[in-house]
Amino acid sequence: MKLMRWCFAGGVMVLTLAGSAAHAGAGLEPGSTCSASGTFRDAGVTVDAATSSGVVTVHHTDTVDWTGSVTGAPGPYSGSVWVKLPPPFGTVTVRSWSGDSQTTSNSGTEHYNLPSMVPAGITFTVAGEHKDNNGRCAGSVQLQFDGSPLGSPITWVSLGGTAITGIGAAFALRPLFRKVM
Amino acid sequence: MGVGRIIGVAVLGFLFMFFVALDLVFFGVVALDSAVVTVLPVLGLVVGGVLGALAGRRQAGGQAGAPTA
Repeated sequence: MKLMRWCFAGGVMVLTLAGSAAHAGAGLEPGSTCSASGTFRDAGVTVDAATSSGVVTVHHTDTVDWTGSVTGAPGPYSGSVWVKLPPPFGTVTVRSWSGDSQTTSNSGTEHYNLPSMVPAGITFTVAGEHKDNNGRCAGSVQLQFDGSPLGSPITWVSLGGTAITGIGAAFALRPLFRKVM
Repeated sequence: MGVGRIIGVAVLGFLFMFFVALDLVFFGVVALDSAVVTVLPVLGLVVGGVLGALAGRRQAGGQAGAPTA
């Protein structure tokens, strides 16, 4: 009975963490004075860092027209965009920039092409920051690829792994399920 | 008590919960950067070890109480 209590407590802890993770903050951090947005051409979605909330669904392959601006002449500047990984793995930097400029806005076009092996259901956080004479500007957005998660062989490998290790664990724990006379 | 069983079930628990965490990520239940992805395998390791110890004790108790021919 004690064991069941511990299992229940563990389950509640995990569900609490899961619930809090689902509401991870998207949008610009307080104090940020810049603006940034991107339009996914094929998906027909425009993501504005200032107003973004919830999960934005995009394609595995698309072209993004991006634009960013700051309130005053930036001077020496630096920044980067990264994808957040589960703790303690940190982040993967997608792009970084630095320089010295007096221009207050910039824009461009980026094409990305991710393999279809990447499961569609994954919700991931893309975050970024930009520092210059105006201060620091940071924000994040949650993205998800459209389509079925079952379309990727990686998902099937994971489901198979769950089944095999689950059966193995149940087999190893047989004495626990045996009735004590 | 069967150290082999404890380690074996702990490893199986770790792998089982690791794959469960992957399933949750792949089906969009939790975000990729969620702490759940880290917590679940560790939880599987610990709970697996505890259950493995209990199973070893239960089996040892059963064998000790079994009638001999």
